[in-house]
Amino acid sequence: MELLIALGDIYDATRLIPVTSVHISGASYKTIGDAGLKFLSEICKGCHTKAKSTVNPIGMDRERYEEMKVTEEFVSKQKEIIDHYKSLGVLDSWTCTPYLIGNRPGLGEDIAWAESSAVVFANSVLGARTNREGGPSALASSITGLTPDYGLHREDNRKGNALFELDFELEEKDFASLGSFAGEICGTRTPYFRNLSASEDNLKTLSAALASSGSVSMFHVEGLTPEWKLGYEEDCEKVTVERKDLEEIANSWNTNDSPNLIAFGCPHCSTAELKRIADMLRDGWKGPELWVCTSREACRKAPDSVQEIDKQGKVLCDTCVIVSSVEDFSETVATNSGKASTYLPSLCKQKTMFDDMETLIRRFQ
Amino acid sequence: MILKGRGLSKGTGEANLIVSSEPVSFLGGVDAKSGRIIDERSDVFGESIAGKVFAFPSGKGSTVGSYVLYGLVINDCAPVAILNERSEVVVTVGVIISGIPLVDCLDLSLLRTGDMVEVNGDEGSVNVEGVEEVHVVTSFLENEGKILLLKRSELVGTYQGMWAGISGYLEKGDEAVERAVIEIEEEVGISSPRLLKEGKPVSSRDENTLWVVHPFLFHVDSPKVKLDWEHKEHKWIPQSQIPEFETVPRLIKAFEAVVQGLRHEDGER
Repeated sequence: MELLIALGDIYDATRLIPVTSVHISGASYKTIGDAGLKFLSEICKGCHTKAKSTVNPIGMDRERYEEMKVTEEFVSKQKEIIDHYKSLGVLDSWTCTPYLIGNRPGLGEDIAWAESSAVVFANSVLGARTNREGGPSALASSITGLTPDYGLHREDNRKGNALFELDFELEEKDFASLGSFAGEICGTRTPYFRNLSASEDNLKTLSAALASSGSVSMFHVEGLTPEWKLGYEEDCEKVTVERKDLEEIANSWNTNDSPNLIAFGCPHCSTAELKRIADMLRDGWKGPELWVCTSREACRKAPDSVQEIDKQGKVLCDTCVIVSSVEDFSETVATNSGKASTYLPSLCKQKTMFDDMETLIRRFQ
Repeated sequence: MILKGRGLSKGTGEANLIVSSEPVSFLGGVDAKSGRIIDERSDVFGESIAGKVFAFPSGKGSTVGSYVLYGLVINDCAPVAILNERSEVVVTVGVIISGIPLVDCLDLSLLRTGDMVEVNGDEGSVNVEGVEEVHVVTSFLENEGKILLLKRSELVGTYQGMWAGISGYLEKGDEAVERAVIEIEEEVGISSPRLLKEGKPVSSRDENTLWVVHPFLFHVDSPKVKLDWEHKEHKWIPQSQIPEFETVPRLIKAFEAVVQGLRHEDGER
C-alpha cells in the first residue's frame, strides 16, 4: 500500500481506484534472482489477492524442465517462486499473454498490469486502462485491489501524440520492426498509426516490440483499435515510415544465420499460431532444435496442433526463450520476435536471426 | 553548482557520476550481480554503476527492471543514487523498494561523467562539486524586425571570434535587466532601449563552469551602433538566420527562451 501511495504522490494522483484485473511480472528465477525471491518471500507472506491476477512466464516448463537442461538449483528456486505466488491465490497462468487465457478486461476497465507487451496490448487492443506498472507495483495492486488514479487511467491522457503514416502494405515480419522503429522514436509517447491493417496476432507482435525499444504504454491504429477516435495531438511529431526504416532494423537483428535453436512464442503463441506452425511442420523437419512457447491454457485448447509440433520440436508451456537459461547450450537463436531479438543478445548472450515464422520454418525444413 | 529537480525517492548519497545519454532497461541492460552495463547498444557499455551516481534520461523496456534494481542492492553493487530527466514507473518502483535516492526533472546536459556529486533525494537537489556557476546577461536588440548579432573580438576572455548578443557578467547584487542596459550602452553605444521581453535563464556547461544566461529582448529606434573593444563586427539579420552563424554556445536557446518569455507591456526600464 505504501508503494502505491508513494507512486500516487509522485504522479499527482488524488485517489486510489479499484482494479478488476492484475497481471504481475517478475516470476522467472533467471530474471529476478535471489533478490527477487527474497522480496517475494517477505511480501507474499499472509497476503491474498483482491483482484483477478495472472503471472508472467517462469524460467522453465513446469512439466518438461528436464528437457530444457536447467540445473537442479534453478528448478528448486523456481519452484519456491511459484509457491510464493500461488500462496497469494493467483491464477495458474505463467504467461505473458493473460488476455489469451481468460484475463481479458474490457473497454474502459481500470486494471494494473505489468509485463510491458501486455500493458500495450491491454490499453491499445482491449481499451482497458493501465499504466506501465513495474512488477512490484502490480503485485501491490493484486494484494490491495487498488491502483493510483493517474496517467492512462484518465481519458485525457489516452490521445495519440506521435503520428506514423505508412504508404505500403506490411508483411508479417514488419510488425516487429515497425514496433521497434516507432518505440525508439516515441519513448513514452503514444503512437497513432495511419493506414495499417492487422490481425490480433500482428497487434500482439507490434505491442511487444513497441515496449522493448521504448517505454510505450499504448498505441492507436486508425479505424481499427477501440479508442482510435480519441485521435492525436495536432501539433505532434509526424513520421512517414519507409520500407528501408524497417529493413534496417530487421538487418540489425540478423547477426548470425546458423542458429542452434529456433524459438517462436515471444509473446506466447495463440492457438491460431500453434495451428499454423503445426500445419507447416506436417511437411517434415530437418532443422535445429525448435521451441514453441505458449501458455498451458492455449495448449489445452489446441491438442492436435501441440501433438503435431511435439513430433518435430517442443511445445514449452509456462516459459519463454528470453527468461530461460538458453545461453547454457546455445549461441544463436532464430526468432520471429522483435522483443526476443532485442533482449536475447543482452539477457542471454545470443546472436540472433530474425524472419517471419513461415520463412524460418521453410528455410530449415 | 546546485541543480534543483524533484526528489522521488528519499535518501542522500555522494559519489562520482556516470552519465548515459540513452534510456535504460535495467532488465537486459544491467547485470544485477556485478552492476555492469551489459547492453551492447548502450553508450556506457561495459562500465559499472556500482557505487556511482548513475544519470540517464529515463527508464524503458521490461517491467521486471524494478527487481534488477532491488537485486543490485542485495548484491551490494547498486548505484549510490539515480538521476533522470523524467522518471518512469519501472525505475521509480525499483528505487522505492530498494531505498536508492532518485532525483528527476534534471537537465542532464549539465552533468559530466566523472563529476563528484552529492544527491539529496529528500530535497530533490544535486550538488556538483568544483563547478562554478557564472551568471551573465545576454541581450538581443531588435530594429525593424531584424536582430543584432556581434562578432566577439580577440581581446575578450572567452569565445573569441564567435557571434553573440550583447553580454556581460552579472555581479552579486546586480539587477539583471539593469546590467543588460548598462552593457548595451557600453558595447554598442545605445541608451534607453525599450525592453520587449525577458526570458527564463538558460544554462550550459563548459568544463568546470556552469553558464547561466539571462536573456532579454530590447527594441531600438535606430540601427546605428558604435562598437567598443569587445566586438569587431556587427550584423542586423532576420531571426531565422541565427542558426547560420557560428555562435557562442546555446545562443539560439537563449533567443528561443526570450521569444517565449514574459512580455513587458510598459516598455519603460
